[in-house]
Amino acid sequence: MRYLARRGGLFLVTLWAALTVNFIIPRVMPGNEAQAVLATFRGANPGALHALEIQFGVNVHQSVLASYFQYLGNCLTGQFGVTAQGVPVMTEIMSKLPWTLGLVGVTTILAFVIGTVAGVYSAWRRGGRLDAILPPTLFIVSTVPVFFVGLLLIYLFAVKLNWLPLSGNYSVGATPSFTLPFIWDVLKHAILPGLSLVIVTAGLWVYSMRNNMITTIAEDYVKTARAKGLSSRRIMYDYAARNAILPNLTGFAMQLGYVLGGAIVIEYLFSYPGLGYLFYTASTDHDLPLMQGLFLFYTLAVLICVLIADLLTAVVDPRTREA
Amino acid sequence: MKRFQWVVAVAAVCMLVAACGGSSSSTSSATSTSSGTSTTSANAGKVGGKVVIDNVTGATWTCGFNPFNSSVLTTGATFGLIYEPLEYVNILQSTKPPTPWLASSSQWSNGYKTLTFTIRNGVTWSDGKPFSANDVAYTFNAMKSDKTIDLNALWTADGGPLTSVAVKGTDQVVFTFSAAAQPYFYFVADLTPIIPQHIWSTLNQSKLSSYTDTTPVGTGPYVMSACSGQNVKYLRNSHYWQSAAGHPVPQIAEIDYPAFLSNTPGNLALAQGQAQWGGQYIPNIQSFYIGKDPAHRHIWFPPVGNVSLVPNLTNPLLGELPVRQALAYAINKAMVARLGESGYQQPANQTGVITPTFQSWSDSSLAQPTYDPAKAEQILNSAGFKKGSDGIYADNSGNKLSFTIKTIAGYSDWDASLQVITQELKAVGIAVTAQDENSTSYASDLQGGHFQLAYAGSGGLGPIPGPSPYYELRGALYSGSIGSYNFARYKSASTDALFNQYAAASPAQQQQIIDKIQQVMVSDIPFIPVTEGVDWFQYDTTDVGGWPTASNPYAQPAPFNSPDSAVVVTHLYPTH
Amino acid sequence: MATDAASNVAIAERPPDTEERAEPRRLVRAVLGNRKAVVGAVILLVMVFVAVFPGLIAPHDPQATVGPPNASPSSAYLLGTTQLGQDVLSQLIWSTRLTLWVTLVVSVIATFISMIIGVTAAYIGGVTDRVLTVLIDVFLIIPVLPLLILLSAYLAPGTTSLIIVLTITSWAFQARQLRSQGLSVRNRDFLVAARARGERPMYIILVEIVPTMTSLLAASFLALAVFEVGFAASLQFLGLGNASQLMWGTMLYNAQQAAALESGNAWWALAPGLAVALMGAGFALVNYAFDEIGNPALRPVRRRRRGRPST
Repeated sequence: MRYLARRGGLFLVTLWAALTVNFIIPRVMPGNEAQAVLATFRGANPGALHALEIQFGVNVHQSVLASYFQYLGNCLTGQFGVTAQGVPVMTEIMSKLPWTLGLVGVTTILAFVIGTVAGVYSAWRRGGRLDAILPPTLFIVSTVPVFFVGLLLIYLFAVKLNWLPLSGNYSVGATPSFTLPFIWDVLKHAILPGLSLVIVTAGLWVYSMRNNMITTIAEDYVKTARAKGLSSRRIMYDYAARNAILPNLTGFAMQLGYVLGGAIVIEYLFSYPGLGYLFYTASTDHDLPLMQGLFLFYTLAVLICVLIADLLTAVVDPRTREA
Repeated sequence: MKRFQWVVAVAAVCMLVAACGGSSSSTSSATSTSSGTSTTSANAGKVGGKVVIDNVTGATWTCGFNPFNSSVLTTGATFGLIYEPLEYVNILQSTKPPTPWLASSSQWSNGYKTLTFTIRNGVTWSDGKPFSANDVAYTFNAMKSDKTIDLNALWTADGGPLTSVAVKGTDQVVFTFSAAAQPYFYFVADLTPIIPQHIWSTLNQSKLSSYTDTTPVGTGPYVMSACSGQNVKYLRNSHYWQSAAGHPVPQIAEIDYPAFLSNTPGNLALAQGQAQWGGQYIPNIQSFYIGKDPAHRHIWFPPVGNVSLVPNLTNPLLGELPVRQALAYAINKAMVARLGESGYQQPANQTGVITPTFQSWSDSSLAQPTYDPAKAEQILNSAGFKKGSDGIYADNSGNKLSFTIKTIAGYSDWDASLQVITQELKAVGIAVTAQDENSTSYASDLQGGHFQLAYAGSGGLGPIPGPSPYYELRGALYSGSIGSYNFARYKSASTDALFNQYAAASPAQQQQIIDKIQQVMVSDIPFIPVTEGVDWFQYDTTDVGGWPTASNPYAQPAPFNSPDSAVVVTHLYPTH
Repeated sequence: MATDAASNVAIAERPPDTEERAEPRRLVRAVLGNRKAVVGAVILLVMVFVAVFPGLIAPHDPQATVGPPNASPSSAYLLGTTQLGQDVLSQLIWSTRLTLWVTLVVSVIATFISMIIGVTAAYIGGVTDRVLTVLIDVFLIIPVLPLLILLSAYLAPGTTSLIIVLTITSWAFQARQLRSQGLSVRNRDFLVAARARGERPMYIILVEIVPTMTSLLAASFLALAVFEVGFAASLQFLGLGNASQLMWGTMLYNAQQAAALESGNAWWALAPGLAVALMGAGFALVNYAFDEIGNPALRPVRRRRRGRPST
C-alpha cells in the first residue's frame, strides 16, 4: 500500500509539474510570441479568450501568483481555451484521439509482445545464433529515428512496389461506416505507419528485456529450478520471465513517451490525422493554446500508463505489498 | 497549394477596380442562345461518372457554403458549383465578349453610368422556387445592409460608384453608377454570386456574412448533397437551366471534394489516381504525376498574375530608387522560375503585364531591367553605397542593405524561389533572409505595412486579376488600395490620375493609359515582379473529357477559380 | 564498507567498480578487445574526420547550383541533386560538421547537468535528495518530442535553440544511474577522509567523486548521443529547424518538402536519414560494448559446448 501511495503521489506531483511547466514556459521564453499569437484570436468566445490570457500572461493585470491559481482552477474545470480556429482545445483533441489511440495502442501491444518474447528467448539461448544477432541488431534498429524507418517503408512498399497506401487513414472520399470494406481500408492505411512504430519500439524492449532476463537467470532460484529438473520452457516462462518483466513494467511505461513522440513524426510522415498530426499542424500554425493542451495531454497519457504499470507491478509482485 | 483565405474579405475596403478592357461591353452580349454555352458534342446525352477535386485547403470542412465568406469562397466549393454569376468573363480570352449566364443580355447606356441586365427566364432555384430579377436586385441591395458582403466595394458607401439597383418591368435590373463605371462590369456581372431572396431575406440582414449556409440553395449545376469534415459530395442538379431535351447538363453525375490538411496527401491522391481535377503545385510533376499514366494525365498552367518581390517604400533604404533598381538587375528571374517553380511559371515582366495572357497590352518597346549583377553593383556604387568588409553594401551612415523577406509558411515553391533570390542578392552585396509566417500574420503584416520586403502575389495574397492588366496594376499601385493590395504603399498623384481616367476612356485610350503605367513600373520600380503566377491545373482524361486546355482555354481551369468552375463542370462529360 | 539501504533501486543499475582510479586505461583496453566497440569507434572516427575536413572529400560547394535540378544519381553527382541543383553528396558531407557538433555539445552539457544533479542528490541526501529525485522523475516522464516541439515554438529556429531545447529535455535521462553510483561510493574511506579534512560538499562532489565515475560518465555521454542525433533530426524534419543551415535533419526537411521520395530522387530523402542512423549506430555500438564491460553478466558467451573455458 505504501508503494501505491508513493507512486500515486508521484503521479500527482508530475501532473502538477506539467501544468506548471505549461504556465511557466510562455513567461520564461524570450520574445512576445504568446502576445502575437493571441492577438490573432479575434471572435473567440470571451470566456475562453480570458482563460488563455491568464494562461499566457497576456493583458493580465494581476500578480503572477493570482494568475497561477486561476490557471490551475481553469485546468481542473477543463477550461483549456480555444484553438486558432476558435474550436475548444479539448474538443479538437478528443476528435483526433481515437485514431492515435488505435494506431499507438495496437502497435504498443504488438511491440511489447514481440519484444518480450524475443528478449526472453534470446536470453535463454545465450551463445546461440539468435542471441548473437538479434539483440545487437534490434538495439541498433531501436536507435534509428522512427521517421527513417517510415521513409524506408514508404519507399519500399508504396513507391517501388505500390502495394500499400502512402498517406491518410482511409481512402480519399470514402465515407466512414462500420462496413467490412471500410474497416479493411482503414487497416490497409494503418499497416505502414504501424509497422514503423512496431519495428522501433520492439527493438527498444527486446534489449532491456534480454538484459533483465540475463540478470534473472543468474539468480539462485533459477539454478535451483533447473537442478530440480523442471522443463526448460517452464523455468523460462514461469520463473525467469515473470520476474524479469517486473522491473521493466514501469520502465516500459516510461518509454511510452518516446513511442508517442515517434508517433507524432510517423503521423506527419503519413499524413495520418491523429493527435500527432494535430500537434504538427498546431506548431506550423503557431497555435500555442492547442500545442500546450496537447503537451499536457501527452504527459497525462504517459502518467496514466505509468500508474497502470505501477498498479500491475503491485498486483504481480508481492514484495511491493509489504507494509 | 494551400489556398490563401483572406484574399477577398479585405477587398471590401478599397477595391475600386474597373474595366473590361478592350471587350465590347458597351454592346449587349447578343450572341447568346437561350441555353447558354453548349456542351461538347462528344458523348452528348450521357450522364454518369464522378470527378474528385484535389485542392489542398489545409483544413477540414466547416460545411458552410456562404459565398460571401472569403475563406469558403477561395476554396471554390460554393461560387461556381452552387451559386452563379450574371455573366461569365474569361480572363484568358479577354478579347471575346462575356458569356451570358443568369442574365441573357446586358447593355450600357448613359456614358457607362447605367447598366441594364435582362434576366433569363426559366431558371429555378434548387428548392424548386422560380428565379427572377427580384433575386438579383435583392443580392445587390443586401450589400447595403451588411457592408461586409460587398466584397468588391461596389456601393458608394464602401467607396465604389454604385448608387442604385432596381428591378424594371418583369425581367430587367438597372444598375446606376455615379461616374463612368465600365471596368465595374467585371465585378458586378462575373464576381457576384446571386443568392435567393426567399431564403436570405428571412435572416438578420446586417449579419449576412456570418450566415453559415449549411444547406445552400443556388441556381448552379450542382447541389450540395452531403458534407462532413472530410468530404463534400455534390450531385448534379437535374433541373439545371442549361439542360435541354437530349442534352442534359451537367453530364458528370457526382463531384467529391475531399479535405486535405497538407500538400503531401493531396499530391499523392493525384499521383495515385484517386482524384482527377487538381489545383496543386507539385514539384517534379513529370515523374511524380504525369509519368505514372502519360496517356491520360495532363497539366496546364495558364499565367494569371504576378508573384513579386514587394519593397515597403516607407523603408528609408528601400524608398531609394537605386536600391530597387539594384534588386531588379540582381535577380535572375529565369533561374528563379526554373529552380523555385520547377519551370512551371514564366519569368515575369517588370512592366507588370502578364504575357502571353495579355500580350496585346504589353508595350514591347519599353527597355526592361535584365539580369545584370555587374550593373546592379554599379548602380549601388554610383548612388554612394559602399561595400563593407562583410561584402554587404551600406550607405554613408552605415545602414546596411540587409532585409527580411516575409512569405507564407507552407508555400514550398515560394521558399525555394526565395532561396535562389537570397543567393543572387548575396552575390551583389545585398543580404536578405526569408521569414515564414502563417497566413493570418502575413496578411495583417503586409496590409499594415509591417515588413521590409515581402514575397506576394498570385496564389497567395495579391490583387485580383481581371480581364485586362488594369485590374492587377490598379490593385497594386492605386493609392486607395493601400491597406488592401498596395503593399508597397506606393503613392503617386499622376499614377492615380491615370487609373481614374481609365473608366471613361475608349479602348484606344485605355491602351495608352496602360502603356503609361507600364512606363511607371519600369522607371519607378514600385515592386519587382519575379515570376508569373499560374492557375495550377492537373487533369486526368481516363474517365472524364471536356477539360479546358491551352488550345481551348474556355475558362480558368483550376477547381478554386470562381465562377469559372461553373463553366468547366458544364463542359465535362463521362468518356464511357 | 557500509552499504546504503537507499541504493536498493528497482531498475537494474550498474554495479560499482572496485578499481576506479585505474579505470581509464582498463577501459581503452576493454574497448579495443570488443568487436562491436571497434566497429562503432571506426564509424565515429570516420565521421569526425569528415566533420573536420569536409573540403577534402566533398566534390562540390554544397549550396551552389552545380547541376540540373532533381537529377538521379550519376557519376557526376553520386547521390543526385536537390531541387535547386545542388549536389546531395556534398551537402551530406558538409552537414556532418554541424550535426556532430550539436550532438556532442548537447550530450556533454546534458551529461554534466545529469551528473551534478544526480551526485548532489546522492551525496547530500535527505530532503535535497528527495526533491531532486522527484525532479528527475518528472523530467523522465514528460514525453520528449512534445516538449521539444512546444519549446521550439517560442524560440527562433537555429542551432542555439536546438541545443537549448534538447538539453532541457535530455538531462534527466541518465541522472538516476549517476545518482545510484553516487550513492554507492558515498561512504568510502577517501570521502570520509575528505569530509574530516573539512572540504565543502561541492568540492568533494567535483574533485573526489566525479573522477571515480569516468566510465559511467562516458557511457552516459554515449547513451545520450545515440538519441540526440535522432531527436535533432526529427525536430528539423518536422520543419522546426532552420532550413538554410546545413544539417542532416534540414536536408531531410527540404527533401520532404520537394517530395523527393516520390519524385524519383529518393537518395536525397534517404541518404541523410541513413547518415543519422549510422551515427546513432556508431554511438550505440560503443555504448553497447560499455554495457558489457560494466556488467560482466552481459558479456558475450563463448561457445561452452566445445568444453573450452569461458573468458
